[in-house]
Amino acid sequence: MTKRGLLWRRLPLRTRVIGAFTLGAAVAALVLVVITYGLSRQSMLQQREESSQRQFFANARQVQSSLRAEDPDLTQLLESLPSLSGSRSIVRTGDEIWTSLSLTPSDLPVPLITSVLESSEARTMRYRLDNEPVFAFGLQLQPSAASTFNEVAYFEVVPLAEVENTLESLALILLVGGVLTVLVGVGIGLWASGGLLRPLTDISDAARSIARGRFDTRLEEVSDPDLDALVGSFNEMAAAMENRITRDARFSSDVSHELRSPLMTLRASIDVMQHRREELSDRTQQALDLLNDEVIRFENLVQDLLDLSRSDSGPMENDLVNIEELVKATLTSADGDIALEVAATAEGALVMGDKRRLAQVLDNLLRNAEKYGDGATQVTIISTGSAIEIAVEDDGPGVAPSERQLIFERFTRGAAARKRGAGDGAGLGLALVDEHARRHGGNARVEGREGRTGARFIVSLPKAGHR
Amino acid sequence: MSIRILTIEDDERIRTAVRFALEDEGWSVLEAETGEQALEGFNSMAPDLVLVDIGLPGIDGFEVCRELRRGSDVPIIMVTARDDTHDVVAGLEAGADDYVTKPIAPKELSARIRALLRRVKPEDATAAPRTVGDLEIIPDEGVVRKNGEEIHLTKTEFHLLCELSDQLGKVLSREHLLEEVWGYDYFGDGRLVDVHVRRLRTKVEPDPAHPRHVVTVRGMGYKLQA
Repeated sequence: MTKRGLLWRRLPLRTRVIGAFTLGAAVAALVLVVITYGLSRQSMLQQREESSQRQFFANARQVQSSLRAEDPDLTQLLESLPSLSGSRSIVRTGDEIWTSLSLTPSDLPVPLITSVLESSEARTMRYRLDNEPVFAFGLQLQPSAASTFNEVAYFEVVPLAEVENTLESLALILLVGGVLTVLVGVGIGLWASGGLLRPLTDISDAARSIARGRFDTRLEEVSDPDLDALVGSFNEMAAAMENRITRDARFSSDVSHELRSPLMTLRASIDVMQHRREELSDRTQQALDLLNDEVIRFENLVQDLLDLSRSDSGPMENDLVNIEELVKATLTSADGDIALEVAATAEGALVMGDKRRLAQVLDNLLRNAEKYGDGATQVTIISTGSAIEIAVEDDGPGVAPSERQLIFERFTRGAAARKRGAGDGAGLGLALVDEHARRHGGNARVEGREGRTGARFIVSLPKAGHR
Repeated sequence: MSIRILTIEDDERIRTAVRFALEDEGWSVLEAETGEQALEGFNSMAPDLVLVDIGLPGIDGFEVCRELRRGSDVPIIMVTARDDTHDVVAGLEAGADDYVTKPIAPKELSARIRALLRRVKPEDATAAPRTVGDLEIIPDEGVVRKNGEEIHLTKTEFHLLCELSDQLGKVLSREHLLEEVWGYDYFGDGRLVDVHVRRLRTKVEPDPAHPRHVVTVRGMGYKLQA
């Protein structure tokens, strides 16, 4: 690969297509212009030469015949000869010269005179006279025996300015035509590259849509056999991926459902036993409490798993949710002593979404703060233009910057969390927060607090109409 | 006579555990293992409330709901292991009054049962008879007449209509209706209201597709108008 080739390949595809079309049009235009001009010039000059020559011979015959007279008035004859587009004549004998107007003997090129005098044939020559292109014709004449003249020759000079002018106009027209052709080439290049890149744009749009979670996105069938293969394989890939995702989601959903029935028996049986607590010995009561705690943990785990599998696939309820009301209701049912601060701009702000999932987001953040951060201290709602942000703060050990992304992954817990809540929690709560926020077109993040320990978890949700 | 609750559930362990829990509340519990059994014995058992599991062998819970609704307005709570939209809405469309999701804590289940049973008693239906367009509502008697002809509503539908007619022309939010009719707090499922409104419309509206009486106010709730 040459260096030039590399450079060409490095240019964007669109530029290359347009470049190729422009170059092609330019070469075509150039070839066309050169050939057209060359041929026209040649044929016009030839035509002019032939017609001038015919006139020249006719004139020459007239001069020839006048030479038979005793004392021909050659000056008058030359003036009376028909002139083709300003042609001028000259008669030259050994020592005398007759000319028509505005022509001097020195205006004839010496090589022409010499070659005419050496031959009996007519001679032609093209040269520039007073900076004007001209044709000059010359022919040796045969004076009559009675004539005193010897070495008589007749010359005619025909200006070519008219032909030159025509050729100049032609050149100008061809130049304009050439430029137009190149422009049309650029235009076709633009159009063709647009057409060529359309499928690529479609594919990148489809890929982006899939990345956003619309797994049923497919490309439209096309009739072009080249593109059809690409579209086919893209759609196959999308279908395979959708299939896999659905299967995975269904699997975890099925597993969770199977777990729910035995849990129901466990839950009801434990409650029946709790109802009869006083009939049990101390030791049995303690065992019952252990059992109860574990069943609660199990229930939460199954619920979280189920919610996660649903957030992968299931449809979402879409309602206008008043965030302030939602947060207040969630805080009330969490019955902690948590301060709520609502920015004036966030009052009454609405989010399009699923009320219970949004409540679960906040609930999980509160639970997270409870488990690993000594409990939430403050909940704040602020508005940032197109989004509404709910922040939950705690006074716990905080989250190390290196773990701030990681803790939103499934089954992941931060170092501090592992130390504190040993054995408790599966690391799904924050993953659910993140997934639910995403499903609502928002996101979740955690940051430190200025000048003090603790963490601030923030969920950002687009306001209704801003999604 | 104590309140009788029929549980239709194929899993014997769940059935037994639930029976223990409900009996602790002082209710008597009748059991059916399949939908066929329940429908067969329904008239002789005459329960005050039915708990029906969706995933039954043979005819499923939805079908049981539909069959029961043919001849009875007994309150039905459906018990489902799936709370995705499809199952919940299908169950409510089939005629269930409310739904709970496994694993439900007995305390919550009892609260739901109590909310439905309380509504069934006419104690809060003391308001005066009212007329809304071609509808005549008599809360004391639990009767609704359309153009003078009595129409049959379930207890929940009737309660919903009374609640809407209490504040005629005013928009009531789904949260408000969930609290008043079903006894839920803020986090009740709005789909309960939507499906019941839909069912109510098929009975009281001249053209259910273009409701005149029970009107949806987008993003806010529902209102009743003449």
